[in-house]
Amino acid sequence: MPLAVDVVKRGGKRPNEVFDPSKLHASIYATCLSVRSLDGHADDTAKHVCSVVISWIDNKPEVTSADIRHQGAKALETLHPDAAYLYKHHKQIM
Amino acid sequence: MDTFTALSVIALAALIHASFQLGVSTITLLSSHGAGKKVAAGKISRLVGSFLAGTITVTTFLVFALLYFTTTLELWQKPNSLWTAISGALAALGIAVWIFYYRRGTGTPLWIPRAFARFLTARVRSTSLSVEAFSLGLTTVIAELPFMITPMITATLALAFLPADLQVLGAFGYVAVASLGIIVVAVLIGGGHNISHIQRWREANKHFLQFAAGTGLVVLAFYLYVNQVVAVAAAGAGIQ
Repeated sequence: MPLAVDVVKRGGKRPNEVFDPSKLHASIYATCLSVRSLDGHADDTAKHVCSVVISWIDNKPEVTSADIRHQGAKALETLHPDAAYLYKHHKQIM
Repeated sequence: MDTFTALSVIALAALIHASFQLGVSTITLLSSHGAGKKVAAGKISRLVGSFLAGTITVTTFLVFALLYFTTTLELWQKPNSLWTAISGALAALGIAVWIFYYRRGTGTPLWIPRAFARFLTARVRSTSLSVEAFSLGLTTVIAELPFMITPMITATLALAFLPADLQVLGAFGYVAVASLGIIVVAVLIGGGHNISHIQRWREANKHFLQFAAGTGLVVLAFYLYVNQVVAVAAAGAGIQ
């Protein structure tokens, strides 16, 4: 269920969105699959990262998409360093 | 230019071409997004193979087209001004590679405009058919032409000095060596290597690759200037 937290996207260049944990889950899950994690492991990792980010976001009225990405990468780093690397850098490959 | 000199120029130009990274970046993203979307390994291999076929096709086409114009217009027999221009272009390109082939910061962001990088990334994400991957291969080679075209022209000018039967072999040799970077990454991906490890290696070695490509271009420029301009001028003046 979406939390009542506004996400500022690309420094305000795109309209704000309500934080949706399922989008975070999908991106972490896809990143884990990209580095050849097994499906169940990828799902567990994504759920764990989501719970860490949700607890970080709690009581904040507004966060940026970069904040979410940073917190997600930090949580992922301990669980899956290869996936964390790709998650952090996927926009800087090209 | 004798056969050995021509072959060494072609080999160096092809190695410089191989060090350009847009194709490698695209193939890395292509397989990463495919795996992230649970695309079957066989289909990812087909997409990667089609991408590779696209890059090889357009490189082959360009090399043979340039070779055709070079030999038809007899550009290789033109006076020193052509070689001076080529040497200057290679040296300028070498300096450009040293300065801005990679953008500053983490990862391996390339010189291409960010809007175009986002467009290519979006195309990679939506690629699901082999024909799309093939056209993506064509696009990446064309997009990197500002850097690739000068080594390619240099190689075709050198190819024109070879005997006719060696020209075709030399042109295919150029294409094979120029595509080596993408072929190696495609083989690694097909062999089950982790994309993250490949990308980490690229990031760790990007400055070396940038320096090597830039230096290669400057060395090639100097070599051609001495061999085709200074030596010819000296011979014309009767200086041994």
